[in-house]
Amino acid sequence: MKIIHPRPNPIVAAMYTLRDLNVDVIVVHGPAGCCFMASRMLEEAGVRVVTSGLMEDDLIFGGSESLVETLKMSWEKFHPDTVAVIGTCSSMIIGEDMDASIKKAALPCNVFSVDSHGCSGDNTTGAVKALECACRAGLLSEGERDRQIFLMNAATSMEKRVGMAGREYLSPTRGPTKLAAARRIADALGSGKRVACAMLAKKELAFRFADMFIALTEAKEKLGGELYLVGNLDGNLGLPRIRGYAEAICSELDSKGVSYESVGGMDEYALIGGRIKEKVDGFAPDLLIIIGIPHAYPELFPGNLLVTDQPRQLANYLSMGLDAVGEVSSHSMVMGVKSIIPLETGDTLRELLR
Amino acid sequence: MRRIAIYGKGGIGKSTTSSNVTAALCERGLKVMQIGCDPKSDSTGLLLGGKRPLTVLNAVRGGGSPALDDIVFEGYGGSLCVECGGPKPGTGCAGRGIIAAFETLERLGAVEHFRPDVVIYDVLGDVVCGGFAMPIRNGYARDIFVVTSGEMMSLYAAGNIAEAVKGFSDSGYARFGGLIQNSRAIRGEDGKVREAAEELGTEVIAVLPRSETVQECEAMGMTVIQGAPDSAQAEAYRSLASELLRRSEEAAGGLRGM
Repeated sequence: MKIIHPRPNPIVAAMYTLRDLNVDVIVVHGPAGCCFMASRMLEEAGVRVVTSGLMEDDLIFGGSESLVETLKMSWEKFHPDTVAVIGTCSSMIIGEDMDASIKKAALPCNVFSVDSHGCSGDNTTGAVKALECACRAGLLSEGERDRQIFLMNAATSMEKRVGMAGREYLSPTRGPTKLAAARRIADALGSGKRVACAMLAKKELAFRFADMFIALTEAKEKLGGELYLVGNLDGNLGLPRIRGYAEAICSELDSKGVSYESVGGMDEYALIGGRIKEKVDGFAPDLLIIIGIPHAYPELFPGNLLVTDQPRQLANYLSMGLDAVGEVSSHSMVMGVKSIIPLETGDTLRELLR
Repeated sequence: MRRIAIYGKGGIGKSTTSSNVTAALCERGLKVMQIGCDPKSDSTGLLLGGKRPLTVLNAVRGGGSPALDDIVFEGYGGSLCVECGGPKPGTGCAGRGIIAAFETLERLGAVEHFRPDVVIYDVLGDVVCGGFAMPIRNGYARDIFVVTSGEMMSLYAAGNIAEAVKGFSDSGYARFGGLIQNSRAIRGEDGKVREAAEELGTEVIAVLPRSETVQECEAMGMTVIQGAPDSAQAEAYRSLASELLRRSEEAAGGLRGM
């Protein structure tokens, strides 16, 4: 199937993976505008992202000088421990020898290259490339590398099976407001029903989706009913940065008296739907709310309430006749945050009960 | 204006042939611009007495804004000599360089300014990426000829170039004009080249004999037309020049034909 809607590319996937590995500086070896939206978001998350800013001269005569200069400037400005140089379409088409430039720049820190480019297929191919290169550079063990690659492949196949990668074109939508969704939740709890919320959140997006756990806990205190919360928040799994996210979210939830169960790591969203479903089925809810990446849950029914951050995914759910709302600006909101931030669905529920 | 591109495998004698054709056409009073499309920048050396001119790409490198006089040099017989230039071996992208050099020549209005009767592109034919196919595309060259010997690799390269021209022909770009045999005196050479031409659905438009005169003139930094004007080899080049004129199409326009 030829998919034509805008979607992430392998270079950006490689950059996010490098962030998760706590790489200090990412040098994008390409033209100045390449990946700039993602670069700005990653800068918000505390990674320094710089560009070698290739120009036509560099394409023709080679971009080594530009890269060496960028590397030296990065050292002068940031004194990083680790620097990753990532390839882009232009630098890889002209066959840039990034390792030779790294050697020439001779920075007194760990510098390695990732020969990613935009035409290698699924975006996860870039993430896999970053993992392999980072492993050779000593940033993660072979075991964790293989675990991550396994998870990447699982996520890719899930998206192809039930996600956006299974449709030729999806228009983005903002969907309905959160009022009806908040009413459904309030009505269920208010009439003493059993409400479950399953979070299958992708990495940093959990900083926003976890607010649903807090809002539901508050609502239950006011309205009664039964509540069961489960999410992929195991802080012992994943790349260093991702573990840190899970730990931060869990300790905040604990401090707010939220009672929840943790199943699987934040990078395991594509795999643990089945285990989470078992837990949910054990609770036998009247209303099931699935937040984060709802299609990672094995079965979706029109009676479920889905909350996603992706506008195209929301369009996908709505077209399937599912009840869903979108928290569409979440990605930019969570970059760089260190604590849970309000979810609009959660805030709507709070406002309804005020 | 005639727009002729001469392709061929590296070392097969494209530049020598192109330069001699340019010299022969100049001798007749035609204004000829020869554009070397090879990062080695050695296409026009014989017309310039062995001098290495500033290449278009070196002139614009680092934000340079050259005038036409900085990159178009007058050579033997009033010929106009241009070298696109390119990267050192193993770095950058020579194909992209060809595209950028053409853009520069077009921006500076090289053709509008000099109004040549004939433009000859001398193009390295081993590389078949988009950049080296540029003369075939977008109206730069109208008629494509390939210099080949009877050697297999040379004929193979000729086949590749013919295929590329055919691939673009639907877009109304250049057409394949034929093979120019630059003899290496191998056994059965004429037959081999003729056979290859038949397979490609084209013909051998000229047979240049192997001649020591070529090397002797090259050693003096000259074309045969200049160094040995009365030789049989000079006649062979003159006859090839006539054949190219006869077989190429006159078309209006600037660097690109209309």
